[in-house]
Amino acid sequence: MAISGKEREDFEKQLEPYVGLDIGIEDRGRDPVNAAMVRHWCEAMGDHCGAYTDADQAGNSVHGELVAPPTMLQAWILGGVGMATGESDPRDKQKELHRLFDAHGFTGVVATNTEQEYTRYLKMGDEIRATTVIESISEQKATGLGIGYFINTRTRFYDQNDDEVGWLTFRVLKFENEAPAAATEAEAPAAAGRPQRLKPALAHDNQWWWDCVEQGELAIQKCSDCQALRHPPRPMCGECQSSDWEFVFSTGQGTIHSYVVIRYPEVPGYTYPLVVAVVDLEEGTRFVGNVLDVEPDDVEIGMAVQASIELVDDEMKLPVFRRA
Amino acid sequence: MSTTLKDEAAIVGIGETEYSKNSGRSELALASEACRAAIRDAGLTPADIDGMTTFTMDTSDEIEVARAVGVGDLTFFSRTPHGGGAAVGVMHQAALAVATGSAKAVVVYRALNGRSGARYSQGVSGGPTTSDLIHWSWYMPSGLMTPASWVAMVTMRYMHETGCTSADLAEVCLAQREHAVKNPRAFFYQKPLTLEEHQSARAIVEPLGLYDCCQETDGAAACVVVSPEMARDLPNPPAMIRSVSQAAGAHQESMTSFYRPSLTDLPEVDLVARQCWEISGLTPDDIDAAVIYDAFSSIVLFQLESYGFCKKGEAADFIRDGALRLGGRLPTNTHGGQLSEAYIHGMNGVNEGVRLIRGTSSSQPEKNDHVLVTAGVGIPTSGMILGKA
Amino acid sequence: MSEAVLRYDQVSVGDALPELPIELTSSLIVAGAVASQDYTPVHHDKEAAQAAGMQDIFMNILTTNGLVSRFVTDWAGVDARITNVSIKLGTPNLPGDTMTLTGSVAEKDDAASAVTVDVTGKNAWGNHVTGTVKVALAAGD
Repeated sequence: MAISGKEREDFEKQLEPYVGLDIGIEDRGRDPVNAAMVRHWCEAMGDHCGAYTDADQAGNSVHGELVAPPTMLQAWILGGVGMATGESDPRDKQKELHRLFDAHGFTGVVATNTEQEYTRYLKMGDEIRATTVIESISEQKATGLGIGYFINTRTRFYDQNDDEVGWLTFRVLKFENEAPAAATEAEAPAAAGRPQRLKPALAHDNQWWWDCVEQGELAIQKCSDCQALRHPPRPMCGECQSSDWEFVFSTGQGTIHSYVVIRYPEVPGYTYPLVVAVVDLEEGTRFVGNVLDVEPDDVEIGMAVQASIELVDDEMKLPVFRRA
Repeated sequence: MSTTLKDEAAIVGIGETEYSKNSGRSELALASEACRAAIRDAGLTPADIDGMTTFTMDTSDEIEVARAVGVGDLTFFSRTPHGGGAAVGVMHQAALAVATGSAKAVVVYRALNGRSGARYSQGVSGGPTTSDLIHWSWYMPSGLMTPASWVAMVTMRYMHETGCTSADLAEVCLAQREHAVKNPRAFFYQKPLTLEEHQSARAIVEPLGLYDCCQETDGAAACVVVSPEMARDLPNPPAMIRSVSQAAGAHQESMTSFYRPSLTDLPEVDLVARQCWEISGLTPDDIDAAVIYDAFSSIVLFQLESYGFCKKGEAADFIRDGALRLGGRLPTNTHGGQLSEAYIHGMNGVNEGVRLIRGTSSSQPEKNDHVLVTAGVGIPTSGMILGKA
Repeated sequence: MSEAVLRYDQVSVGDALPELPIELTSSLIVAGAVASQDYTPVHHDKEAAQAAGMQDIFMNILTTNGLVSRFVTDWAGVDARITNVSIKLGTPNLPGDTMTLTGSVAEKDDAASAVTVDVTGKNAWGNHVTGTVKVALAAGD
């Protein structure tokens, strides 16, 4: 539970002096902008742009000479192997601010937004340094990850002539992390591996139907006494109260009775926009399933569709519909 | 021996917390605060309360709230299922208890951290293998797992059958927003909405766009129900429960009754409406204002038809010239509704119904003899008519 | 090699950029972190990533920016000058997944002969990155 009342007021008062504060340390590039680091970067990114690595192409381009990829901006001042120790400069006010959040239960950290602007492309030999200011701290917010505060910082980059070559902002959420205790830099997926669709709960009254799907059939339950078809399956016939039932296989032919196009929220394992329809099967019962390979704008009530049983992810088979 | 619930109970106190996106406290704390406020508003003390009722979806147990608030012995406690369908079902429970003498004074409450806690927009999943989970299993694998998606399915068919358009749905949203703009409790207080904004907002589940969907809110609302005799001695003018009823319809599923002969028929709402009119002896013409459950804009139209304010399929025509606005035929959701005030599962609507009868709404119609209050659509549901003493 | 040059007058609002699927391997994630001099352990040390609640190492932000920049210059060519990259970060890029970059031209600025490109990088868990890139193109002849 996030802090509240007086405790929250006191905490927020402690945050105020940090707004507008320079973090107190200057980051200085340990090497001038150089071809070797640019080459490593381009190889990692698979970036073949001639402006970065091909002197002839670069010379003939608007750049006039070899330049560094603009998004490398921050790479020129990062700490390298030293960062792995996790130790930080005790004068660093940004780290101090994060520790203040940690101490009040906001231990999670995730960068949510970043923006970079480039005044000019960097050339070989440029010497880069940067200073960072904490620009703002938001009000307490309820986010998908938990209760927290957004911290906005701006880092300005300068060259050997003290001219500004670009800037970089970060929006970082410090949040009350109710899951694992350690800090994370990103939202953790719920499970390992590729996301899969939600599976049905199986029990006595529906297991048989899913077994039919496994065997490639769209089954419809049928009363053994009055012969009425029914779906979804249930243990008794609502028409004649018989507990005896069997099933038939649907031809899968039908028409769309109604449908929706789901755009929000996007649940991992599903592909969006996702079309789901209530289909009138020719046997007279209805079935709810996805409509595939039709543009959402082309789906219509009354459209003839045909079901087939298919794997919808790595694990689950489901009846799905296509335009007949 | 009384056989109906006409004027057998009255609402004499209402209370609520602030409505926010981040309450910073537990749902039990919210429930307790709303109950305390309702009891005080009624001119009672916790010792006077002997009944409590809420939704099955509420996380705060009746006895927990009773202990927190200082309510003593309880002779009545109960829960009503089916989400927002319970919004007036709880009032039905309270009225039954008071009318039969099972309790003298019942507190009705609903508390949720609907934005900072569990968010209904994020969908159903998991849990023990109950009949309910088996039910959702027909829809989750295909991705149909949020209230917006279930209501959109019926709305699409409704629009196909009636010619109702998204701009018609917008009128519901715009009318209610006009009310919210004047209501300081509302999330959208002083924040108007235009047709252009409604039409250009992102789709959530087509045909429903962002503003067709209710909010997600932290907060609680509560009210106190007592007998008419007891109400006479209390400070506030009572809101008499002129009729109250509950219903589930044939072939009823929870939100996914897709297998009925007509997808757009809502027999449970029709049945609640029929009982409300029969018990009260009133007709739609007698109703001066309404609180119509609005988890989504389209369900307001469905209910206008089921309650008989217009013919089936003609709700869009009924509202087009401002019927839902102040000065219109049926000023509706004068607090802004769940689209624009707050989503407290309909309990904030019950309180607005009481304010309308008292004459204290921030969008108060001149005539306020009778007010209709309804509950969730697509599920077993409920409704009531409030009137002056 | 991106020798082709895209001129400003050849571009219209709504134009789609060629889709770019990126196979997310441990090698790419580590190479990107090292090339950007970002040795924060969660980007190269699986145990550290797991201690932080993740199932595996995950891509650092500089690599995401680098891939977004590549996606745009693959399309725009050697004469493109990127002036601004603004992104929102979403689900992490983890080994074994694929991130597919898609984009389209959202705006044209005639005065600067620059365009704004909307970019989305989506993996199996959702959007890893969404944002805009402003890029100046060679003016038409």
